[in-house]
Amino acid sequence: MSVGTHSGPAASGTRPTAGGDAPWRRRLRFFLAVLRARPSFALGYAIVVGVIVIAALAPWIVPFDPMTADPAVYLLPPGGRHLLGTDGAGMDIFSRVLYAPRVDLTIAVAGTLVSAVIGGAIGAVVGYYEGQRAWRRALSTFVMRSADVLQAFPVFVFAIALVAVFGQSVKSIVIAIAFVNVPIYLRLTRSQVLSIRQLRYVEAAYVAGASDLAILWRHVIPNAIAPLVAQLSINIGWSVLLTAGLSFVGAGVVAPTPEWGSMIAMGFQNIVTGQWWPSVFPGIALGLTVFGFALVGASIEVLADPARRRVLSGSLG
Amino acid sequence: MLLLRYIARRVVFVVPQLFGIVLVSFFLVKLIPGDPAVMMLGPTASAQSLAELRDRMGFTKPLLQQFTRYVTDVAHGDLGTSWQTTRPVTEDLFQRFPATLELITFGLLLAVAIGFPLGVAAARLKRGPVRKFADYYGLLAGAMPDFWLALVLIFIFYTVLGWIPAPLGRIDMAVLPPPTITGSLVIDSLIAGDWEALRSSLGHLALPVLTLGVINAGPILKMTQSMTERTLSSDFVRYAEMCGLPRRLVLRQAVRAALPSVVTIISVLYGFLIGGAVLVEMVFSWGGAGQYAVQGVLNADLNPVLGFVLFSAVLSLVIYLVVDLIYFALDPRLRS
Repeated sequence: MSVGTHSGPAASGTRPTAGGDAPWRRRLRFFLAVLRARPSFALGYAIVVGVIVIAALAPWIVPFDPMTADPAVYLLPPGGRHLLGTDGAGMDIFSRVLYAPRVDLTIAVAGTLVSAVIGGAIGAVVGYYEGQRAWRRALSTFVMRSADVLQAFPVFVFAIALVAVFGQSVKSIVIAIAFVNVPIYLRLTRSQVLSIRQLRYVEAAYVAGASDLAILWRHVIPNAIAPLVAQLSINIGWSVLLTAGLSFVGAGVVAPTPEWGSMIAMGFQNIVTGQWWPSVFPGIALGLTVFGFALVGASIEVLADPARRRVLSGSLG
Repeated sequence: MLLLRYIARRVVFVVPQLFGIVLVSFFLVKLIPGDPAVMMLGPTASAQSLAELRDRMGFTKPLLQQFTRYVTDVAHGDLGTSWQTTRPVTEDLFQRFPATLELITFGLLLAVAIGFPLGVAAARLKRGPVRKFADYYGLLAGAMPDFWLALVLIFIFYTVLGWIPAPLGRIDMAVLPPPTITGSLVIDSLIAGDWEALRSSLGHLALPVLTLGVINAGPILKMTQSMTERTLSSDFVRYAEMCGLPRRLVLRQAVRAALPSVVTIISVLYGFLIGGAVLVEMVFSWGGAGQYAVQGVLNADLNPVLGFVLFSAVLSLVIYLVVDLIYFALDPRLRS
C-alpha cells in the first residue's frame, strides 16, 4: 500500500501523458467507478455520512428541544408542527430521532474501536508467537482458551452484567461493548497474522535482524489490517443494535436522553393502543444506520481483497 | 467407535471450559453492586436481621470460600435458590428453559424455511430480481432490531387486524394449560388432544416465532448462498455438468455438499438465541430463561444468573454434539 504513495512525487516529475494522474486521484476515480457500478455501496456510504452529519449538526437542525416534554401535546400523530408526532411524555419524536445518533454512534464507535485495538494487539502477538518456544506457546494457548470462555457466555446477559458491575453510564456501555467484541478481533487478527507470518518478506525481515516487535509493527500488522477494517464497520452497526437493546431493557442509556432503543421502549405501551409512531420511527432510523454500516463493511471487504477487486475492476472495463 | 472417541474427547475439553465459565461469571456477578440482603428484607429491616441473613447466606465468608462452596453445590446438582422467586434455581430453570427452547426452535425452523430455499435460488441465479431480493434481505434482516420488529408485528396483527391474542405469555389466562410432558405447550396440547389449548398456544407463539424467523433467516440465507455458489463452481460439479447430468441433479449434489456449513450456522444461531432471544421474550412476556437471567442481573440475584449461564453453556455443548452427529451423517468422508 505505501509503495503507491511513495511513487507519487517521482511519477509526477516524469509524467508522460495525461493518463498518469497522481495516485490518490486515480484511486479516488476507481472508488467512484466502483460506487457507480455498485449502487448499493454508494447507498451505504450515503447513509453513514448522512447519519454522522446529522449527529454532528443535530443541535442546529432540530425544531424542538429533544429533552423538553410538553404535556399539552402528548401522543400527537405525525404531521403538522411535529413532523413525526410526539411521544407519551409530549417530546418531539423528530428531534429525538435526529439527536439519538449522538449517543448511539458515540457508544458504538468508541466500544468497537477499543475492542479492535485491544483484540487486534493481543491477536497479533498471539498469532506471531503461536507454535514457538515453550512459554510463548503456553501464553497463546492460555489466551485462546480464555477467548473461548468469553465467547461461551450469552452475549446479551454478559453485557447487562457488565453494565451492572460498572454502574449505569455511557462509559459502562462502552466497556461492555468492548468486552464482548474483543474475542472477535482477537481471532480475526490471529488468523491473519498466522498466514502472513509465513510469507517471504517476514522471513526476510527476520533474517535481516529486525526485532519481533518491529516485524509485527512494520510488516505484519499493516498487511493484516484490511479485513479488520471491514469487520469494524459491520461491528459498529452491530454495536448500535446492542446499545439499543441494552437501553430497551433498561440497562443502557437512561430515559430522557434521546436514544433509539429507549425511545422504542417508551413507545411500547402505546403500540397496543394504536399509537405506533413513538416506536416505529426510531426503529427505522436505527435499522437504516445498521444497514448503512453493513453495506460499507461489505464494500471494504470487496475492495480490500485483491482477487475480488480485480474481478470488480475487470467488470468496470 | 470413532464417533464415540470423538465425543469423549469433546467432553474432556469442555470440563475446564465449564469451570472457566463458572469462575468468570461467579466473580463478575459478585462484583455487581447491590446487597441482596437489603433487597430481600426491604429498606426498613434492622441492622441485626440484615447481618444475620448475610451470615446465613454465606456472604460474610471470604470470596474464595464462597466460590468453592458454590462449585461443590453445583457438582451435587444444586444451583442455590433465587431470592426473587424463593424457589430453587434448578426448578425455575427447568420450568423456563422449555419455554425458551420452544420459541427458538420454532423460530429457527421458520428461519430455515425462509432462508434455505431463498439462498439456493439466489446462488443459482446470478442476476435478476430473486438475487437482488436475497442480497438486500440478507443485509436488512441483520440490521433490524428484533424487539422493534416484534412491536411492529404486534401493532399490525394485534392492534389493527386483531388476528392474534394479546401478547402476554404463552397461553390465554382462561385456558387450562395441558399436562406437562415435553414442556412445549404446542406439543403437549397435541399429545393431550386439547384443541383449545393448542389454538391458544399457537396464537401466542405465532408472532414471536415470526419475529425470530424473519430476522434469523438472514444469516442462513447468506451462508446457503455463498456455500452453494462455491460448490457450484467446484471441480466435481463441473465434472458432473460435463458428463451431461440433468441440471436438477447437479444442483442437488451441489446443495448437498453445502449442507454441513448450513448446519453449522444454524447451530451457532441456536446457541446464540438461547440467551439472545431475551428481548423478544420480554416484548411478549414469554417467561423464558433469558428473561429470568436478566431479572436476576437487574436485582442482584446471583444464583439465577449463574444457573442460566451454566445451563446455556451445557445446552450449547449438547447442540454442538448433535451437530457433530449430523456432520457424520452428512459427510461420508468423516465416517471412513
